[in-house]
Amino acid sequence: MIEVHIMAEQVFYGLAILTIGSAIFALESRELIYGAIGLALSMLGIAGFFILLDAPFVAMFQIAVYVGAVAVLVIFTVMLVRTNELFTKREDKNRRIAGIVFAFIFMIVIGLILLGSELSKASIGELKIDNITQKIGGEMLTYYSPAFILLALVLAGSIIGALTLARREDVDNSYERVN
Amino acid sequence: MVTVPKKFGFGSFVSSILWLVFWIVVIVTLVGLPLIFIILFYVPLPYIGDEVLTPYLFFSMMVDPTRTIPIIKFLIHTDIFRVMVFPGFGYAAIIAAVTIFVERKFLAKMQLRVGPYYVGRWEGILQLMADGLKLISKEIIVPSGADKLLFWLAPVLFVATAAAVTALIPVAPGGWVVADIDVGLIAVFAILGFFPLIALLFSWASNSKYPFIGGLRALHQMVAFEIPFILSALSVVLVAGTLNLTEIVESQYLYWFIIIAPISAFVFYISSLAELERIPFDLPEAESEIVAGWITETSGMLYGLIQLGTYLKLYALAALFVILFLGGWTGPQIFPEEIIPGYTGEKIYNHIVINGIFWFTLKTFGMIILFLLPRGISPRIRIDILLHTGWYKLIVLCFINIFAVLTLIYGGIIPTGGILQ
Repeated sequence: MIEVHIMAEQVFYGLAILTIGSAIFALESRELIYGAIGLALSMLGIAGFFILLDAPFVAMFQIAVYVGAVAVLVIFTVMLVRTNELFTKREDKNRRIAGIVFAFIFMIVIGLILLGSELSKASIGELKIDNITQKIGGEMLTYYSPAFILLALVLAGSIIGALTLARREDVDNSYERVN
Repeated sequence: MVTVPKKFGFGSFVSSILWLVFWIVVIVTLVGLPLIFIILFYVPLPYIGDEVLTPYLFFSMMVDPTRTIPIIKFLIHTDIFRVMVFPGFGYAAIIAAVTIFVERKFLAKMQLRVGPYYVGRWEGILQLMADGLKLISKEIIVPSGADKLLFWLAPVLFVATAAAVTALIPVAPGGWVVADIDVGLIAVFAILGFFPLIALLFSWASNSKYPFIGGLRALHQMVAFEIPFILSALSVVLVAGTLNLTEIVESQYLYWFIIIAPISAFVFYISSLAELERIPFDLPEAESEIVAGWITETSGMLYGLIQLGTYLKLYALAALFVILFLGGWTGPQIFPEEIIPGYTGEKIYNHIVINGIFWFTLKTFGMIILFLLPRGISPRIRIDILLHTGWYKLIVLCFINIFAVLTLIYGGIIPTGGILQ
């Protein structure tokens, strides 16, 4: 059992290096396409964390949504944009250093808050739940059903809004035979 | 320069063989045996049954063929065999190779042609080997201005992703699957989501206009058909009550799910055709419009890799159709319990597993033929009709079947929470 534990720790560090490294690569890369690929890799690393946390359902949806849809959308948009017109000036050095410093301060504050809270004392122990996805689904449809319906309404509203925005009035395609 | 062969003499023939034997003996004693003993010192020896597999036992097993059965059994049940050979890559690659040949012959017969004929003695049976040798020996040309890293990486990623899909397919009862995970169906769809990304990146990396048009078409097509593809599997999940592919097959022991979800099966078939970029949905590779679509700039083995990946994907989707709708490996037991009557030694074959493999392969191959069929009879459709079909019609058809299944469940005809419970 102890070997499994060590294994999980190594996998955790590997995933952390992959996720953070590719995120930094995504930020620093001059080529926008490579930046988008770095973003997709970072998302894959997060999916790996979910697998490590015994949540394969969330992990698979992380891959399907973020790598399969969001990364494709980003790359598609990047390809349509002339990249050399975007980067006319180089970034200021001081701003980068300030950003890194602020990120560190933010992380330290968040870490202190988390360490001081009850979360650090919570232990999972021998808790073992089978069919956790099924239980979450059941809760979503019974106790939390108002929230669920609200989310569904928000999603439907955003889809209708997107359709309205994308609709073009000036193109008349009524004469085109669709099938 | 002409080289004249030496005159043949029996003495020189024998002496050359003796020299070969001499050098083999010298090399084995000086290099081979020390190497074997060094490896034996560090590698823990596997257990065969209840005795350790020492070299002496190994050689005595090699002498007596009936004693090698435990070694073969041990090898078959290792993980590496599963990944490399049977339910994993080897099996899928053999089916893919057979599919390439069968497709050419089958379409030729449909169109009253002959097809591959000359290579090999009978009906051009060795055509595939000749094609493979040709692809391996050809030069790989990287277009000028191409993104070198992505251009080399994308075909390899394509094959790797296709092989990852085949690793999730359960082939026979008793755990004959590489990765048996609880969310297998979602994992299949998540991995299939990589393909538009790879096609798009490769088309961009080629730095050429036809691949880029093809890549954009591939993206549009795959994104449009992803949604009906996932929704069509949803009615099966509602009936089976599980996402595990093995359990989905096991819950079809009474009847196949195509009886409950015929419309979903139809939608799944159509969207698989679109996902595989096969005629009538082969717009990303439309050879009469954009040369060869997003694979225009590939040459040599890069093309071979993409071809292999495409046919692995074809096998994976046909197998997925069989698992979801045609009952997987279930079928009448046609293999006898003992293959040699009166044989009392070590058990050499499991009649249930063999039966499962037989029925699974038969059904999968039938589905592959059904996927190949439209190529012989159907023209290519226009892109707006394709998008209209994907977004308007197939999604609505999926919902009709989902509501039908929900009616059956709420009517109490199908038990809630899965058939297996």
